[in-house]
Amino acid sequence: MTKTFMERAVDWGRRKSPWIIHFNAGACNGCDIEVVDALTPRFDLERLGMLQQGTPRHADVLVCTGAVTLQTRDRLKQIYNQMPEPKFVIAVGSCACSGGIFDGCYCINGGVDSVVPVDAYLPGCAARPEAIIDVVNKLLKKWEEKQKEE
Amino acid sequence: MLAALFHILIFPGLLFLMAYSLFFDFVDRKIYARLQNRTGPRWYQPLADFLKLLGKETIIPDHAAKKIFTFLPIVSMAAIAAAYLYIPLFLPESLYPFDGDLIVVLYLLTIPTVCFFLAGWFSTSVFATIGAVRTLTQLFSYEVPLFMALLAPALLADTWSLSGITAYYSQHPFYLLLNIPAFLVAIIACQGKLDRVPFDLSEAETELASGTFVEYSGRYYAIFRLAIDCELVVVSSLIAAVYLPMHSDSLLLGIVIYVLETLLILFILALIRTIMARIRIEQMVVLCWKYLTPIALLQIIANLLLKGVL
Repeated sequence: MTKTFMERAVDWGRRKSPWIIHFNAGACNGCDIEVVDALTPRFDLERLGMLQQGTPRHADVLVCTGAVTLQTRDRLKQIYNQMPEPKFVIAVGSCACSGGIFDGCYCINGGVDSVVPVDAYLPGCAARPEAIIDVVNKLLKKWEEKQKEE
Repeated sequence: MLAALFHILIFPGLLFLMAYSLFFDFVDRKIYARLQNRTGPRWYQPLADFLKLLGKETIIPDHAAKKIFTFLPIVSMAAIAAAYLYIPLFLPESLYPFDGDLIVVLYLLTIPTVCFFLAGWFSTSVFATIGAVRTLTQLFSYEVPLFMALLAPALLADTWSLSGITAYYSQHPFYLLLNIPAFLVAIIACQGKLDRVPFDLSEAETELASGTFVEYSGRYYAIFRLAIDCELVVVSSLIAAVYLPMHSDSLLLGIVIYVLETLLILFILALIRTIMARIRIEQMVVLCWKYLTPIALLQIIANLLLKGVL
């Protein structure tokens, strides 16, 4: 099936303007500092079109840090459901990927993928800002290739 | 008839306004980024954002008033595009000049703000409601100094039409220097009109998520963003038309002058946005009523007295 001009334009726009929203599901704040770090002048995510949004309604990519606690489980689900399609989830940090050192703890539900589907995993304690930029880029590149195949 | 449609829809009407506003948004963000020692967005960034938002799923909250919710972005965009038609852009005269178009432009520019308020109100979300109330509080504080500051030069020129102001000041270019206090008041007040730092209280990302537009997504949010960008263009054009009325009879030279003038105003606005932090709502009310309004009032009195002398 060939795509119309408008569909291709929208695909191009999606690739060039990923807006992120940052959610802390129970992280120790290490990865959160690194996510904020990626937005500062040194790394400047805006040159790649990434903007941090305040509300899930405007965001394309949910950047989630930390192992999901029982307290944040429902909220994470709610925020994920509030995001409009197409949406992506990135688990940033070892705890978000698998639960990390908190796995098996009495108040921990598990990694982010135990609650919402995750598109990209980024291990690290804490994940480096360069890696965060790279993972968003790779995720969109992969998605673009998949769009092309269709 | 065809010519009129061309003017309204394509050049210098709707389509040109949209294209120029996307360019304007890019320049604004680029200046902002460069002043913060960042690289800044790429030139097509606003277009990519707009297209992406058009293609996203549109969510309308269950409790929102659906008709008004979907109607408001279009109304605000239409009001701004209509205001653009009455401002002299490239030539000394606007497309459809008449006596009193300055007042009409000012009131057309109030409609989007009211739309933003209603958008927040009918979203029935807590964040959006607080944002909406703040929009209205802001409206009551900056509107008076802005109107007074824009009417002061018109009083000196003894006309309510923008084309008349242009004609008067091109005969007496030095009288423009008399309006500098009003110009400063207008620049500060229009930061409030455009919801920009230091007056971005209604959007305040850190406290209110995105304030008024918290529930908007997809193409409705795209149109709202476009309307805000267009408002930036229209307000800069209006300030340029009132305080820097330099026009040429040739269209090409006129376009060059227009672009330079509006970019200059945009640079001042971006500079203010960069060096300021957000202030609290009551500080804004105090600033507007205690300082900006008296300055604008003094300017009006001075202009009235000067009119007797000159």
